[in-house]
Amino acid sequence: MANTWGYGAMTNHFGDVVENSKAILMIGANSAVANPIGFKHFLQAKDRNNAKLIVVDPVYTKSAAKADHYLRIRTGTDVAFIYGLLHIIFKNGWEDKEFIDSRVYGMDGVRQEAEKWTPEETSDVTGIPAEQIIQLATLLAKTKPTTVVWALGITQHSTGTSNTRILPILQLVLGNMGKKGGGCNIIRGHDNVQGSTDMCCLADSLPGYYGLGEASWKYYAKAWGIDFNWLQGRFHSPKWMHEKGFSLAKWWQGVLQEEKTYSSSPIRALWVQGTGITSMAQTAKVQEALDKLDLLVIAEPFVNEAAVITSKKDDIYILPVGTQFETEGSVTATNRSSQWRSKVVDPLYESKTDHEVMFEFAKKFGFYDEYVKAMKMDIVDGEIKVVKKDYNWPDDASNEIARTVKTIGLGGWTAKRLREHQENWHLFDPITLRGYGKMKNQYYGLPWPSWDNNHPGSPVLYDVDTPVNKGGMGFRNRFGLEHDGVSQLADESISVKGSNIKGGYPEITKDNIEEVLKIKLTEDEKKKIGANWKVDLSGIIQEKCREKGVCVYGNAKARVKVWTFPDPIPKHREPIHSPRHDLVMKYPTYEDQTNNFRVDVRFKSEQQQQDWSKDFPTMLVTMRVVNLSGAGMLERTSKYLSHITPEMFAHINPELAAQHGLRDGDMMWLHSPQNTKIKVKAIYSHSVTPDRIALPYNFAGMMQGVDMSANYPEGTKPYAIGESSNTITNYGFDIITQIPEFNAGLCKIERA
Amino acid sequence: MSEMSRMKFYCDEDRCIECFACSVACSEAHELPTGISRRKVITLNEGKESLEYSLSIACMHCTDAPCEQVCPVDCFYIREDGIVLHDKETCIGCGYCLYACPFGAPQFPRDGAFGAKGAMDKCTMCAGGPLETNSSHERHMYGQNRIAEGKVPLCAAVCSTNALLVGDSQRVSQVYRTRVLSRGHNHIATPKAWKSAYGS
Repeated sequence: MANTWGYGAMTNHFGDVVENSKAILMIGANSAVANPIGFKHFLQAKDRNNAKLIVVDPVYTKSAAKADHYLRIRTGTDVAFIYGLLHIIFKNGWEDKEFIDSRVYGMDGVRQEAEKWTPEETSDVTGIPAEQIIQLATLLAKTKPTTVVWALGITQHSTGTSNTRILPILQLVLGNMGKKGGGCNIIRGHDNVQGSTDMCCLADSLPGYYGLGEASWKYYAKAWGIDFNWLQGRFHSPKWMHEKGFSLAKWWQGVLQEEKTYSSSPIRALWVQGTGITSMAQTAKVQEALDKLDLLVIAEPFVNEAAVITSKKDDIYILPVGTQFETEGSVTATNRSSQWRSKVVDPLYESKTDHEVMFEFAKKFGFYDEYVKAMKMDIVDGEIKVVKKDYNWPDDASNEIARTVKTIGLGGWTAKRLREHQENWHLFDPITLRGYGKMKNQYYGLPWPSWDNNHPGSPVLYDVDTPVNKGGMGFRNRFGLEHDGVSQLADESISVKGSNIKGGYPEITKDNIEEVLKIKLTEDEKKKIGANWKVDLSGIIQEKCREKGVCVYGNAKARVKVWTFPDPIPKHREPIHSPRHDLVMKYPTYEDQTNNFRVDVRFKSEQQQQDWSKDFPTMLVTMRVVNLSGAGMLERTSKYLSHITPEMFAHINPELAAQHGLRDGDMMWLHSPQNTKIKVKAIYSHSVTPDRIALPYNFAGMMQGVDMSANYPEGTKPYAIGESSNTITNYGFDIITQIPEFNAGLCKIERA
Repeated sequence: MSEMSRMKFYCDEDRCIECFACSVACSEAHELPTGISRRKVITLNEGKESLEYSLSIACMHCTDAPCEQVCPVDCFYIREDGIVLHDKETCIGCGYCLYACPFGAPQFPRDGAFGAKGAMDKCTMCAGGPLETNSSHERHMYGQNRIAEGKVPLCAAVCSTNALLVGDSQRVSQVYRTRVLSRGHNHIATPKAWKSAYGS
């Protein structure tokens, strides 16, 4: 997404769907289970606008049960499916030609690729009947605006990056971007996932998506008021400063070093704070790595079952951390809105808040002063300075973020404004997010970008019919000014409403600001201004752009061709472990990959090692259950929630069960291609066809048939424990993001 | 009894997604043993395309409550607002009400030797029982009395899709009617369970 039009976040919001969407295409998401309250908005859209809900999923989900149209897709064939739709749309001339010509770059490549995907070919690959594909393409072409909704069913694939590109491409072809009721609504799965993404709790970026280049580090050194050389000195050697770290998906290779790794030394200690690593793919490998570590530190409100699945007896430390009710600060919702939360009670018993734990560590490690310095700073007359002796948590942390994170426009997110929004909930319309009374001309939670202290927030991204200072903008100029001799800026005909500049314009830098805005900077301004809008702490660029109704990041074209990727135009590639070996040669995966996130990744060599479907004939689909989230440890400590799913199970079609002599409720072993196995209860269900089974990933406490109950610290064993489906999720990782292949794999069933 | 003031439940099966929020919140609020389900979520035709639907079900607080009619010890009473309650200290746990109830609402504790039945327990529409309002005795025997505090029954308050409606019958019917009309497609005129409970 970010590589298509600038940002990788939900473009519209739930209220917008209720009010404006005429059709909702939900693919790779089961909101009825993962976000029940979010799902209400789709039902409201059905009730209020007679909006059509289309659900595309390998399993007949709870969301599908509420859909007007359900399409049962084979796992890992999303790109092929969308091309099938595009084929019909292009063939009939249903694309939005004006939109494509004026706001999109590289569509010819997509058109060419789509030609191959006739309804018959698409049907053969995806398993969806050709008539249904034609019916849906027709519906999408005739129903505007349509919004596309997805979640982890799209991203968690060896082709995840292509998947997340092909859906935006569909919306660009249909001209549904930058429009109310349209857009790409990617739903975040947990509370504040958008916030932790924005803060880049990731191995390959600084907060605010700044990357790891020298300019970014130098910008942060300045914003944090610390010496760049000191920062550099914290690394083993300067080059590691710019190298991606190990990813959450494959960190265990940093310990085990079975595949080639690229690191100065093996990982010996692991500190886990706020993530359920027992619900990650390759759980058996996670277990091996935990066993081998010198030190494991876990800081969480509930016991992270990482401490339970390991047989390690010593050097595990579990630090009790308070919940969100025991601390204060802002969180970011899926629609880029921020919300302030107040503390309800002080941290209970001996627990501490997350930040206190980190502060204590910083003190022990000897960098506490540097760690908190920016909270004592502010911009004075265009320059950053220390302005006070002590900081005020959490307001000064929020203000630091607002002052520093320019890329996604958090300039307006000061603690003062966010608190005001919380205190005046009643003055916002829940559907339009618009404020009343003293909150007039603001949107609830100031959905980013909220460029500065007077900006209302941007409820719908890339909307050129709204002035920049009221939440409008074009696509971001992120990929240079031209490619292959073609300008990347928006066409002359696309001016952002109220802007002084006609047509497209580049992102604003120190060098081009005078020319683009047709202004003169004073000598003092020239001295204080940053090199470009992303690193301009002085705020001068934003101030000048505001006066001209200009968006600091430019007004460019979206691109459907990403020339730096292995697939510049997305291509269908069969899953690493495909049930259709006959298609593997026709649509092979990528060549094996060297050094992504410090480790090699097998693609073709794994996929083509053998015909996996012979020994592992059943498709493996993982799913969530509504009463458990993530690794499920929190919910499984509730007797009422555990009562709903007291044990681990797999949904199996009675037809398939009969082939294995399994009665409803019998136990079975499921074996994976990487020689792992789990023992689970077979539950008859018609939600799956006989070629696939579906099972939840929210259990832990059992590993490959072994009960690990004895490892729970006294009094912490949850009411329900069980095998995790991710012990048998197949090997496979995305070529760019390295997200694991959770959603397309194979297994073998054996009666237990 | 005026129809205006009659309290009713209605679950919109086009909205219910089997998220269990209602039943979990109910059990949690009234601190019920796990074997007692005052409110259940049921799914029919699970996994069958176009046939599956879910429904949250508890005591429907029927107009002519069959449980009240068959009770040999007359432990039921119907409040002026139509909420059907019973006196647990009079109840002998015979189970007649369970046989009479079209919705399987009456619940019986299952522990003890030979699964001996204790006093019946069921949804009170969060209106407590015959004991002193909001006393700890009432809370212990019947759970929270939210109605007395002017609060909506918890199940409907937490419903994630606003499927479960509760309140004054005319208001409930008005909310539902608005929905059905704007849906603009064929829909059953009378919701499931409505007829058995309220006769029309």
